[in-house]
Amino acid sequence: MRRWLARYSVDMPLLWLGIVLSSALIFVADTLTNFEIAFAVLYVAVILLSARAGRPRAIIAVGISCGLLTGLSYALTRYGNPESGLTNGALSLLAIVTTTYLAYKSETAEASTRETQADLARMARITSIGELATSIAHEVSQPLTAIVANANAAMRWLAAEPPSQDEAKQALNRVVADAARAGEVIGRVRQLVARVPPSKVEVDMIDVIEETLALTRGEMVRNGIVLRTDLADHLPAVVGDRVQLQQVILNFVVNAMEATHKSEEKEVLVSAAADESKITVSVRDTGIGVPSDVADQVFEAFYTTKSTGIGMGLAISRSIIEAHGGAIYVAPNYPHGAAFGFTLPIKSGAGDKPRVE
Amino acid sequence: MLNETVYIVDDDPSVREGLDSLLRSAGYATHCFASPREFQLHRRADMPSCLVLDVRMPGASGLDFQVELANADDAIPIIFLTGHGDVPMSVRAMRAGAVEFLLKPFREQDLLDAIRLAIERDRARRQNETVDSELHQRLNTLTAREREVMALVSTGLLNKQIAGELGLSEVTVKVHRGQVMRKMQAATLADLIRMSDRLGLSAK
Repeated sequence: MRRWLARYSVDMPLLWLGIVLSSALIFVADTLTNFEIAFAVLYVAVILLSARAGRPRAIIAVGISCGLLTGLSYALTRYGNPESGLTNGALSLLAIVTTTYLAYKSETAEASTRETQADLARMARITSIGELATSIAHEVSQPLTAIVANANAAMRWLAAEPPSQDEAKQALNRVVADAARAGEVIGRVRQLVARVPPSKVEVDMIDVIEETLALTRGEMVRNGIVLRTDLADHLPAVVGDRVQLQQVILNFVVNAMEATHKSEEKEVLVSAAADESKITVSVRDTGIGVPSDVADQVFEAFYTTKSTGIGMGLAISRSIIEAHGGAIYVAPNYPHGAAFGFTLPIKSGAGDKPRVE
Repeated sequence: MLNETVYIVDDDPSVREGLDSLLRSAGYATHCFASPREFQLHRRADMPSCLVLDVRMPGASGLDFQVELANADDAIPIIFLTGHGDVPMSVRAMRAGAVEFLLKPFREQDLLDAIRLAIERDRARRQNETVDSELHQRLNTLTAREREVMALVSTGLLNKQIAGELGLSEVTVKVHRGQVMRKMQAATLADLIRMSDRLGLSAK
């Protein structure tokens, strides 16, 4: 038990300091005052505080601790009538048990909601990946082709008369580099489909954008789309979940590619910029655009214009961005097409912990 | 063997370098280009060669470029490489005269076989062209009358018949005919008929 309590306390140090301090205060007050004064009821507040940690088991642990402390106080109290103390203690315990149970229940319900949302987001990511399957296969088969060619070349250089070790070495060096490149592509895909808990780390959006474009570049070329980027040389880091943020950009890019499907001029522009308080990332396309009267609806669940879509992509994107304390938007692109984008606060702490995986 | 040249057009530098090394190790001279445009700007040496072309590239697709080359009467044999070979695409490429349509990542032997075949085709075509141009040169040395005689000889007419046809004496036809055989460097009548066929004379 101590180990996971320790783990939690590392997560949210302030919260746990508050819990320990207030428990100690209540314990001291409860022990020093007469039996008649039911200080122990205040443990209820401590339990409710522990619910903020977002971990059901932590609530149980705190509840049990509060119960034990109440019992200990009873044993240590010197003044007053022990009988009223017994009644008061029992009432306090009842309050503690009830509160613990209710807090635990609501927290597990919330946790399962979060889990469902996370699963949904992951499903959406997998769907996006599925749409990019050809492109990703291409991204892997390019380095593989190079590896096969270089490895064969190396064997030939070594078997030649006279053998050329230099050429063989260069070819083998390229094999190593190309294998690493193939591995990176696979790593990127795995990251997007893996089931990992949301994290809160410093994220460099330029990196995230470039990784996303690396997965979609092949698909753009295949569809004759010209990809342009306008990325600031350096963006201040934002705090959040890297995979989730990548999912939002991936969503925008896949939508942009599909929107330009029937356009004559197919162009996608990905840009990223920052001001003092926030960064802005946007994906513009020269596609069919979003009529202004439905602009409000595109972020709602189950709104879709695609024959195969389920209308969750943008809804999930919105919940991800809002959980990061940012805002998502859609605007018309000049002269035609749409611009989807989001802003994220630069300073950490502005966003709550991401609620969707 | 170093005079046989393989031109590689692929937008991916890794693939380009790999192909370059492999083909050089197999004894070919190579030239690499990142795009069809770059390849077009290159002055090619006059020797048996072929083109290894990626189907999917930014800008012009490999298939469009194949059409462009054909329109420009550029008969360099093409081997296509593709990451996602769909059947219609390969059918289109092969119909338009591609030597081979290889799926990435390909087997070394498949590529080398295709390249050997392509180079041989190009060599044969070049030889044909050389022979053709030589024949044309010889034909140009003939006088108008000698050409007429050559055409009629090739259709199998006898000297007497040719004389009647052209309103000449048989002796004159015989002299013309001797000149034709000499100028065209034909050893036998069969040789001469083959040349006429090739030059499209007998059809007239």
